[in-house]
Amino acid sequence: MTRFRRLPQGGRIDRAKPVSARFDGKALGGFAGDTLASALLANDQVLIGRSFKYHRPRGLVAAGIEEPNGLFTLGEGATTEPNVAATMVDLVDGLVARTQNAWPSAGFDLMAVNSILSPLFQSGFYYKTFMGPTKGSWMFYEPFIREAAGLGKATGLPDPDRYDMRYAFCDVLVVGSGPAGLAAALTAGRSGARVVLADQDSDFGGSLLSGNDAGHEAWRIACIGELKSLPNAETCARTTVQGLYDGNLAVLVENRSHLRPDARKGEARMLLTQLRAKTIVMATGAIERPLVFSNNDRPGVMLASALRSYTNRFAVAPDKRAVIVTNNDTAYQAALDLATAGVAVTVADHRASVSADILSRAGAKGIAIFPGSGIFDVEGAKGVTRVKLGGAHAVTIECDAVGMAGGWSPVVHLSSHGGIKPKFDEAAAGFVPGGFPASHYGAGAMMGTYGLSAAIAEGSNAGASAASYAGFGKTRPVYAPEHVTDRSYAILPTWAPAYSAKGKAFVDFQSDVTIKDVKIAHQEGYRSVEHLKRYTTLGMGTDQGKTSNINALALMAEYRGITIPEAGTTTFRPPYAPLTMGAIAGRTVGAHFRPVRLSPLHDWHVKNGATFIDAGLWKRAWFYSWAGATPETAYVKEMELVRRGVGLADVSTLGKIDIQGPDAAEFLNRVYVNGFAKLPVGKVRYGVMLNDDGIVLDDGTTARISDNQFYMTTTTAQAGEVMSWLEYLLQCHWTDLNVQVASLTDEWAGMAVSGPKAREALQLAFPAEDLSNDALPYMGCKDFPFEGVTVRLLRMSFSGELAYEVHVAADYAISLWAHILKAAAPTGIKPYGLEALASLRIEKGHVAGLELDHRNTLDDLGLGKMAGKEKDYVGRALRFREDCQSPERWSLVGLELMEPDKKLRGGSILFAATDEIKGHGRGYITSVTWSTELNTFIALGLYKGGLGHEGEEIIAAFPLKNEQARLKIVSPHFIDKEGARLHA
Amino acid sequence: MMIPCPHCGDRDVSEFRYGGDASKQRPAHGTGDLKAWHDYVFLFENPKGPHTEYWQHVLGCRRWFKLARNTATNEIGGVVS
Amino acid sequence: MLERRSALASAKPYVGSTLKIAERPGFTLTQVAGLSPDFETKLSTVVGPLPETVARAQVNDARTLFRLGPGQFWIVGPETDDAAAKLQGQCAVTPLNSSRVRVSLEGAPAREALSRLMPVDLHPSVFTPGGVALTGIHHTPVTVHCAAENAFDIYVMRTFAVTVWEAITDAARLFADRS
Repeated sequence: MTRFRRLPQGGRIDRAKPVSARFDGKALGGFAGDTLASALLANDQVLIGRSFKYHRPRGLVAAGIEEPNGLFTLGEGATTEPNVAATMVDLVDGLVARTQNAWPSAGFDLMAVNSILSPLFQSGFYYKTFMGPTKGSWMFYEPFIREAAGLGKATGLPDPDRYDMRYAFCDVLVVGSGPAGLAAALTAGRSGARVVLADQDSDFGGSLLSGNDAGHEAWRIACIGELKSLPNAETCARTTVQGLYDGNLAVLVENRSHLRPDARKGEARMLLTQLRAKTIVMATGAIERPLVFSNNDRPGVMLASALRSYTNRFAVAPDKRAVIVTNNDTAYQAALDLATAGVAVTVADHRASVSADILSRAGAKGIAIFPGSGIFDVEGAKGVTRVKLGGAHAVTIECDAVGMAGGWSPVVHLSSHGGIKPKFDEAAAGFVPGGFPASHYGAGAMMGTYGLSAAIAEGSNAGASAASYAGFGKTRPVYAPEHVTDRSYAILPTWAPAYSAKGKAFVDFQSDVTIKDVKIAHQEGYRSVEHLKRYTTLGMGTDQGKTSNINALALMAEYRGITIPEAGTTTFRPPYAPLTMGAIAGRTVGAHFRPVRLSPLHDWHVKNGATFIDAGLWKRAWFYSWAGATPETAYVKEMELVRRGVGLADVSTLGKIDIQGPDAAEFLNRVYVNGFAKLPVGKVRYGVMLNDDGIVLDDGTTARISDNQFYMTTTTAQAGEVMSWLEYLLQCHWTDLNVQVASLTDEWAGMAVSGPKAREALQLAFPAEDLSNDALPYMGCKDFPFEGVTVRLLRMSFSGELAYEVHVAADYAISLWAHILKAAAPTGIKPYGLEALASLRIEKGHVAGLELDHRNTLDDLGLGKMAGKEKDYVGRALRFREDCQSPERWSLVGLELMEPDKKLRGGSILFAATDEIKGHGRGYITSVTWSTELNTFIALGLYKGGLGHEGEEIIAAFPLKNEQARLKIVSPHFIDKEGARLHA
Repeated sequence: MMIPCPHCGDRDVSEFRYGGDASKQRPAHGTGDLKAWHDYVFLFENPKGPHTEYWQHVLGCRRWFKLARNTATNEIGGVVS
Repeated sequence: MLERRSALASAKPYVGSTLKIAERPGFTLTQVAGLSPDFETKLSTVVGPLPETVARAQVNDARTLFRLGPGQFWIVGPETDDAAAKLQGQCAVTPLNSSRVRVSLEGAPAREALSRLMPVDLHPSVFTPGGVALTGIHHTPVTVHCAAENAFDIYVMRTFAVTVWEAITDAARLFADRS
């Protein structure tokens, strides 16, 4: 038997443009203008899937975004997208759709056994069975339950489609293009304001698209025509406003799937817009509510408005007869339009009496009305066959479809994203916005203003107010079409008739929540709407309860004997509708996931065998192929190069800051714990900074270039922090100091020349300069011109060897680096990477990022003696607080491995020899390396009591690998304690 | 959230760095009073409602400024001198 | 003379018929900041009138001036510019010639491409020629100068130049010729 058929004429489909899609492996025909949903119905595909828990046969309920049942998997392979509402998918050539949650097919579903086991799936079933005392069983059952229940499956393949994003700005954003939205957008547009009109639908007009009144249609066409002619207005179809955020930020997502976009051409499937609007008019409309009765989920039972929409907009109607059940007058719009299309219509009206006007208009169309009646039961396993009425008229009617008209729920989501709770409006019998901030307005059905002329007037007013708020005063209002009579939208609030049969009566179709589940939740004390939601999963599906929330909380209110406003409502959060993750990620995927920072020497490293390692955002040369193929072998050779000959390392990632001004020396003297006021010109000094709390912030060196100019370096990791900190102190607190700071991190490249042959190497590179120990002693610096470029030479050492840093403007870094390697080739100079750099400093006992972890004091790091005694510096007062002075603090020690056959690991937990190996221990290893000088593993670590335990044997435990090793606590300065090499 | 940079105008919050409570006076340099520093560094009101705080326009002019913001509603009261 | 090398020397070029995106090298960048009350007077004696606000650039012959905030400016001059030398000793002078890479976007889709990158209103009536925005692209600070109706110069940090170049050219893929 046929239940639905395509009407021979009418609708907004283009019969001249046939479309062929694929559905469950078969051809699915339709026309341009169809949605996947309307095409399915036109092909009499009434049964379209199985329900979430019970695997009951299901059909379409709605024609719009609120559709709970009609979810399909689109695409194939890597482009697979599950859980897409068929009502929101344009039917286009090449579209591929599949049913989900049914195996092997929707018509014959083996999982329907769940329906027999249904007592298992009542509310709270999961909690009662798998949580609490029998918690462990969840682990066992979960995979089975997830397999049987649930929706479509995502693909594990990378998504080949492109997702784009943009920023936009406007004066007035209008959300929704129904009568109120069109009026608002046009009125605002006429003022000259920059207007954006967004609608989730493929066309503009909202409810007007589902009507069949020629006058209304002319009004719609005229409004859109004028709006599109305005240069200051932008109209966005298929664009859902997913959320509103602070500062009038609206997130819009446009779905461009229907264009079959080609990612290789840069075409995006989704475009996310972060729109900053000066004002926002919400004209988001209303969604019809179902009624709750026995077997109200039979395929063919739909919202009355959906029947009307399919009939008028898509020219798809029930084959012969439809029954409409209602508690209000709006159902008669659907009844009359269906009758006009040739469908025999019976209306069961919960209300005892129906107005004379309706009786006469319905009578003229041959519509039978049963007042005081509702639905007792629906029959037909895979599609409606018969309806039994209950109440005043207990008759049985053969039919193809059932329309439910339970009143309207204003779409208040966006109005509450900012935290304003909606309020219950008795007249509108639904929740309306609880208020608006100054720049927000509401109009039309979302305000509970359902009548056409009233909605248009309200929309026009809102558009004018929004434009005026945005600074555009002069406009002309938009008037409603002539001869519009707004009808009553009052409902008789019957949520679930008492005479219903014993079949399952669904409140939430998608989450398979029945009236009985709500009762159980009530009986078991889950009475708050938030508890009801979590206990029964009501409203937690992809539709977020757009059709079910009000019925559920009305029922709960009834059981509790309170009013609906007393029961309250759940919280609405973005996104308004399901959103592909790709749309949120946008272009920030793959190589664009985060910014990558490259040294000015990067290209040289790439060409010369460097392997890179990520250090924060930086790519750093880790080791070079000349030294070995793996870091374990290469870094040892690179260390030996520096200890015995000379090596060249890229240190351009260090933070570098220009500090100038008459008070520059005083400024540095305040931020560093040690003295800088008397640093002579041409000298460099190592310095440590504290935070206000007395904890070490960073270390580095600062050179005095002239009386009023200093050149500071910071650690790579803290460069940004230190720069902001200096700016903060100068701009917010020490405004009396005349100092200017500028970042030089990107301007200067740095290269370390280290090893006993460092001077020899540099003398070969810069033969004109006197680099003798007298001319440039340890911690000396000088600028000199070389080949037309200024070179800054700083004699300082991180490795403990005779060493220099050569700094030069970044554009010249590669040519200077290459020059040094070439000129100094007789010394055997080669590049060394980060691994060797970091290992050399461990041997020397220099602290670095792993030790400077924002938890340590100067004394913890053995640097307490550096601090000036006669001067104040940042962090001084709190450095001396009691806890920071405790001898029991974890402080810096050197560690030497006592068992030569073992290896040490960073992060190992340190225990005293007599301790039980358990818990957090007495400290941990911060840095570890093989020592080429000592021929053993050495480490730096933090240990309770620190060097007070020097010489003691302790234990390093690495529980993840079940390893333990004996260590000795030694001075952290493993080599050249006297510093003879530095001063050579 | 849009933040009114006193030099660059209204900009998205992603361009800024939050700098903490600006309602307290930092002890002057040279103050060795442990209690004054303790109270300044560790004790905060953490109000729900109007608040004055430091922000830096790090992706813009890099200027620090004091901003009045309602911590409950994110309503911006403007730059405080 | 040491060879000078751009941070974008090995970046993949962008080819588009309606939109040109290219590095525009050959400039001198000097940051200057005041250390005395008469700083702006001294500065304008050397470089001419100064931009009044952060949001507007001032073009004086071959130099373009940007105001970065109170008492702080950028002087973007030709490849050889004596401004830094002339200002030495009169204020804080910081040469930043290597620190920024200048990327230019030119063509009808330039605004649309940029709207995918920076959270600033680029409407032609708002971001007009001469307009400046200190903002962020791909999480890094940039200075964007509207040089003409549909031409923009973006000053990008050198160490982020490649990643920002890739972000810009990816955002503009819709306007690129297919290779």
